[in-house]
Amino acid sequence: MKPSIQVTCTKANLSAIRHFVKEQLEAMAVAEKTAHQIVLAVDEACANCMIHSHQCDNCSVIEVELYRDTSTVYVEIRDSGKAFPMNEYRPREIEDIIRRRAKGGMGIFLINRIMDKIEIEEKAQFAVYRFAKRLNGQPLPPSQGIKTA
Amino acid sequence: MKIKEIEGESFVTLIPVGDLDANSSIEMDECMERQLNSGVVNFHIDGSELQYISSAGLGVFISHLEEIEQKEGKIVFSGLSQNVQDVFQLLGLDQIVEIFPSSSDVPNLFATS
Repeated sequence: MKPSIQVTCTKANLSAIRHFVKEQLEAMAVAEKTAHQIVLAVDEACANCMIHSHQCDNCSVIEVELYRDTSTVYVEIRDSGKAFPMNEYRPREIEDIIRRRAKGGMGIFLINRIMDKIEIEEKAQFAVYRFAKRLNGQPLPPSQGIKTA
Repeated sequence: MKIKEIEGESFVTLIPVGDLDANSSIEMDECMERQLNSGVVNFHIDGSELQYISSAGLGVFISHLEEIEQKEGKIVFSGLSQNVQDVFQLLGLDQIVEIFPSSSDVPNLFATS
């Protein structure tokens, strides 16, 4: 059984998720800079789920699981809320965000910058977000899906 | 997260301690709002005790950039860890704001403003 963490959808639990992901990546011997970027991407995705899918409802739960093979780290986030299409996000220019005085709108941009592949599976009762981060700098073959947990 | 506030003659230094994420960014935002409403327009963000920042944390500073500029003020950063600087770079913010290696490297930017 792969290690995972389950938390309720309150933003105070984001630090527990980051701690879990960091620990797992250290155990997987992932380089520090890459590990920090993966922690950031998972934090951004979970914050989005908590805020936008669950309105920070303390009764809802999300689960995060990590695994790796020789060249790739995989993240799976299982969320009982409605999926949002984070892989279809078109980023705004930073200058536009400054002009609009926006506080948000950058999290999904960061996830797309950091991760090499994003897949979303939407079911009737829940959504699964799968991310892949290559460790060798080589892109995933376009036809290759993300390994499931 | 805690925020230390040090009032200078023509600027304020804010020192966020801990993690600045979607949870704690509200506190930082309230702090910036309060300072701006009291007339402060020059900010030095000392990041030497900042362990982590997410887009929500950076969003606090980004959302006030335009207002600070309109009021002819300035916001500069110092002492950012490599990981925190990495987030600035990923968002392209390192090209827009001034970042100094440490607070002692921050020149007397605000003396004549």
